[in-house]
Amino acid sequence: MDDSFELEYADELEAIGHDEDIDVPPHNPPKSKRALQFETPKSKLNNRASGEKTDDSFFIQESAFIASSPESPVFPDYLNETIPKRKRLQDFDDLSDNAHQQSHSPTNFLSNKRARTDEPVEIVCEENSDAVKIVHQLRLARSSSHAPVSLPRANDADDLERPRVHKHIPKCDFISAVGYEGQRVYMKLWDEEVLEAEYSCISTDARSAMLLTTPVTVLKEQLEDEKSRKLYQESEELHDKIHSIIDTNSETDNSRVTRTENREVEMMNDTNKEVEQLTDDLKMLWVEKYAPKKYTELLSEEGINRSLLHWLKLWDYVVFGKNVPKPAKKSATFKKASEKDEKFKKKSQTGVTEELDKHNRPEQKIALLCGPPGLGKTTLAHIVATHAGYNVVEMNASDDRSVEVFKNKIESATQMKSVIDADPRPNCLIIDEIDGAPAPAINVLLNTIKMTDNETEAAGKKKKKQGHILLRPIICVCNDQYVPALRQLRQMALILNFSHTESCRLASRLQEVVREEMLKTDLNALLALCQKTDNDIRSCLNTLQFVRQRQKELTLQDVQSMSVGQKDTQKSLFSVWQEVFIMQKAKKNRFVSIHDLADEKQELNQSTFSPSARFQHMLHLCQSAGETERIIQGLHENYLEAKSKDPHLTGLNLANEWLCYADICSHFIAKSQDYSVMKFSSFVPIVFHFLYASYSPFRIQFPHSQFEASQKLMKSVNLLKTLFEDMPPITRKFNNHQSIVLDLLSPLLDILQPTLRPVNTQLYSNREKEELSNVVKIMMAYNMTYHQEKSQDGQYVYALDPNVEEITKLPGLKQRKQLTYAAKQMIAREIELEKLRKTESNLPKSSEVSASEKLPDPKVANVPNHLKKLEAKSLTQEKPAMNFFEKFTKTKRDKPVDKEVVDPQDKVKKDLLDTVIWFHFKEGFSNAVRRNVKIQDLL
Amino acid sequence: MSLWVDKYRPTSLSKLDYHKDQAAHLKRLVEGGDFPHLLVYGPSGAGKKTRIMCTLRELYGAGVEKLRIEHSQFTTPSNKKLEISTISSNYHIEVNPSDVGHNDRVVIQELIKNVAQVNQLDSTQQKNFKIVVLTEVDRLTKDAQHALRRTMEKYMATCRIILCCNSTSKVIPAIRSRCLGIRVAAPTIAEITQVLTMVCKKEGLTLPNEMAVKIAEKSGRNLRRALLMCEACRVQQYPFNVDKEISEPDWEIFLRETATMIAQQQSPKRLLEVRARLYELLTHCIPPDVIMKGLLKELLSVCDGQLKAEVVQNAAYYEHRLQQGQKSIYHLEAFVAKFMAIYKRFLEEGIADLF
Repeated sequence: MDDSFELEYADELEAIGHDEDIDVPPHNPPKSKRALQFETPKSKLNNRASGEKTDDSFFIQESAFIASSPESPVFPDYLNETIPKRKRLQDFDDLSDNAHQQSHSPTNFLSNKRARTDEPVEIVCEENSDAVKIVHQLRLARSSSHAPVSLPRANDADDLERPRVHKHIPKCDFISAVGYEGQRVYMKLWDEEVLEAEYSCISTDARSAMLLTTPVTVLKEQLEDEKSRKLYQESEELHDKIHSIIDTNSETDNSRVTRTENREVEMMNDTNKEVEQLTDDLKMLWVEKYAPKKYTELLSEEGINRSLLHWLKLWDYVVFGKNVPKPAKKSATFKKASEKDEKFKKKSQTGVTEELDKHNRPEQKIALLCGPPGLGKTTLAHIVATHAGYNVVEMNASDDRSVEVFKNKIESATQMKSVIDADPRPNCLIIDEIDGAPAPAINVLLNTIKMTDNETEAAGKKKKKQGHILLRPIICVCNDQYVPALRQLRQMALILNFSHTESCRLASRLQEVVREEMLKTDLNALLALCQKTDNDIRSCLNTLQFVRQRQKELTLQDVQSMSVGQKDTQKSLFSVWQEVFIMQKAKKNRFVSIHDLADEKQELNQSTFSPSARFQHMLHLCQSAGETERIIQGLHENYLEAKSKDPHLTGLNLANEWLCYADICSHFIAKSQDYSVMKFSSFVPIVFHFLYASYSPFRIQFPHSQFEASQKLMKSVNLLKTLFEDMPPITRKFNNHQSIVLDLLSPLLDILQPTLRPVNTQLYSNREKEELSNVVKIMMAYNMTYHQEKSQDGQYVYALDPNVEEITKLPGLKQRKQLTYAAKQMIAREIELEKLRKTESNLPKSSEVSASEKLPDPKVANVPNHLKKLEAKSLTQEKPAMNFFEKFTKTKRDKPVDKEVVDPQDKVKKDLLDTVIWFHFKEGFSNAVRRNVKIQDLL
Repeated sequence: MSLWVDKYRPTSLSKLDYHKDQAAHLKRLVEGGDFPHLLVYGPSGAGKKTRIMCTLRELYGAGVEKLRIEHSQFTTPSNKKLEISTISSNYHIEVNPSDVGHNDRVVIQELIKNVAQVNQLDSTQQKNFKIVVLTEVDRLTKDAQHALRRTMEKYMATCRIILCCNSTSKVIPAIRSRCLGIRVAAPTIAEITQVLTMVCKKEGLTLPNEMAVKIAEKSGRNLRRALLMCEACRVQQYPFNVDKEISEPDWEIFLRETATMIAQQQSPKRLLEVRARLYELLTHCIPPDVIMKGLLKELLSVCDGQLKAEVVQNAAYYEHRLQQGQKSIYHLEAFVAKFMAIYKRFLEEGIADLF
């Protein structure tokens, strides 16, 4: 168990040990300081300074001090002490024993007193350096006179402590009594005279023992004098300066003006200087000043710190050549521990995988720190990296992050190391704000990681490419790990989710800071501040610094009334809706402490629940949330389910009125691009808040119905569009979308359902055939057909294509009766055939608009092209030669020749050869070759 | 074409079945030679487009019936490509500019210029102008309408424009004054019955008169719908059965049910259910103003006299806002909520009166 523990926390232990070695705190621990500051100065100084205090009171104080110091009860202690003292008084035998006691009481007191008297002076020093000298002198003077005076007094003190109660019978007169524990004790009786003498002696002593040689009032006066003198001197100097300047400028006519101006300028300068002096130590941002400097100071969750450090240590082998302490055998106990650890983490924090890959690098090449701003992610990365002995190279959004630059930077950071520096430590690249980087740049990063992986497989080239292997750890920091660009990166990275720092932890750190900076405040105020800033360390510190500049005190009221420190954060949509519908509980003010006065509390409560405060709150919420459109959608989606007392539905009407108003506003903006109206729509949630806010829990749903509706609408519109797309012009001309939906579709679907017998088409009666052809024609006219598709339960069905049925079908209405599968199939086939026929027949013909011409009549000579036989032209049609003379000669001779020589076969051959164009049929046909075009078609 | 609507659509002005005076006017207009720009308006199913087509045929002869679809492309100043399909013959071109939405101005400017800048080839035989038919003019943006008005004057020599819309209220006055308005009123019940019997006769069917009247009444004086309903009845059952219910469009039934739901109960919960139904209607491409009108019609039937006025007034108010706005669901819902409030108050008063 011990071993495993050590193993596991070795890094951290080392870290802590390391720190202890190095770090010797330069200042005293603040605790002791506080003790001194708070207890001594006021009371003691006052007592002593006033000098008028009676001795009684003084001694009572002293004795009280004694009483309170030891832990044991007063009485027995007293007794114990008294015994040796009595002995000393009575028989002066064992002096050695008493020496200790003796030295204990008086001298100790003295030294204590001295210490205490010193302290206040020191504090004064800090506050007012002017007074230091005087006081110092005074103290010197006093200390010399002090010693003799105080000595007898100390004796008196001793005298006071002489035994008054004895266990044995004293020598002189006594009274016996029973003590606490039942034993008998005796008290000596003294003469009154003796006592009186003693008292008088003490009082005279006390009077002479002035703590300060000069009374405080005098000292104060002196200080005042000193101050005024200094001021006077300064002003005189200033005067001189100004005069000298004026003298130099005196040539100008309006010297007076310049003088005054100059004076003003001077004054300004002077005040500026003063301010500068004042703020000299404030110049540094507290955020930097108090940033954690070492591992142990980190405020973030320990688990995260540890796993990051552990991950980084896994790199040791590659980077430093050190052996990584391997958890070689996972003993049962260790396993148990780790399981426990995992359970402890529970938030699906991906643990560090211990395995190393072939190059002895950790499996996860990259660590990805993510979380809301101001939790110290960057700080953590830096500190851990430096702690592990790396040289931090940071890359953030301020750098150019184009692909080129990104690549260069990664390469230079991971493959080189600084030579010039005194200690050439290996680099550790920290990529800050990676969620803002462009996707290609992130891909580059991915490639550098991946490339090495692929490269291990291609072992041959290994040597050549060795340089490219990623051998340095890279830590990425982002706010939103779910940015799309990071998706791939996340799979390969060690993801460390930052959760909010606990308020108390943060507050205690703030308290340290505040103490350091002399800002007066209390824990409650700090807690409130933490809560206000959502535990954002940065914002807390900035706020504190801001406050410190103005005043010296920070109270709870300040925090609550303050608008600083409140980040202009975008609340999520859901939280906005929550706040609209659910009344805030008083819980919100839980940081109001008990010390707050009752009336104050009331006032606070009132302030958060008064209508005007709610109004302001909601307004601020909506305005900062943005996305008003979305918010209003959410309200619309949810408001009807909210509970409200509204018997006359007036609230409902009002709410709707506002919704309409918002819609008109947004439409106006979209139309006119005039965004000045935009501000008004953020008032809508306020109305809803006042109408519907209640204390009862309320489940808010994300508004998706509008989106869904728009999707559906889009689908329907697209259906209509496809329906229109290929509709023949004549039907298209007389219809538009609206008329189709409103008038046409419902009856049309009825018309398309003739009663057809489930028999072969050949067996149909004439009427049925007519009906069928009619359906086919209608469907073609409206660009519809049946389309086979597989339904969800695996059956094949014919559905309309485009499926306009979806447009007409409304839920809750009776279903239209459907044609049988066979009928649909038949119709679909007929449509296909008809379409084929149409494309075959002349195109212009099909678009002709005579109702009588329905089908291309097969009887008509209008045979489709592919069916036509290619007929050779007869030669006789050829024009006779134009030669005039030939006309006479040839024709005469030709005719008989034709008759004689040319037998029919030869003639065909010759015809073919003689035609200018001839076709050789191979296969298929093409309309492109030949077409009958009548001149009337062209008109 | 074989739907009765298409099959028996008259093709010449002389064959029109009703508004014969108007047909004669149009004929004279064509013969007169100085054909003006036309603005044809009227409810849907009244025969606007049929009349336009007849007029065109009167102007150019049968050549206008040879239609083709062309896809033309336009580029907006912002380099956005727009595609719009037009139906055209050699003599005219028909386009629905609102198909391209907000960029209709570009279409109007480019298209009309293209058409108008080309003269007719043979101006001796035919009219020396072409016709541009713009449909759904009431859906044009104001920009487009302004673009239109100058073009109308400028290219008067070479082209005439016929505008077609349901209502002139959305057409800017400048355009209205440049056109000859032709209102095609919805046919009366008697006219529809007449047409129906005529069509059936031509089909060789016998349509009982009561049936025809019933269909005509159901159709809401929309001839297209009447003919389609008639044909649907024919397909469902022939010979016609007078007692049989005439099937109405699904959306009308749905809307009626919604209205009854509103009248039954007035509560936020019910409003939620109504909203779901309204969404359903909207996603089935039923225009919001039609929904509003249908709802009002159904709701008025449950209202008292005095209440009617209030309801109608509110309906008008919300219809107006509906036109101004973008998301119709808000306005429809607001109207329903308002009605609920009014009706509930009315009911409660009624109960209070009883006691």
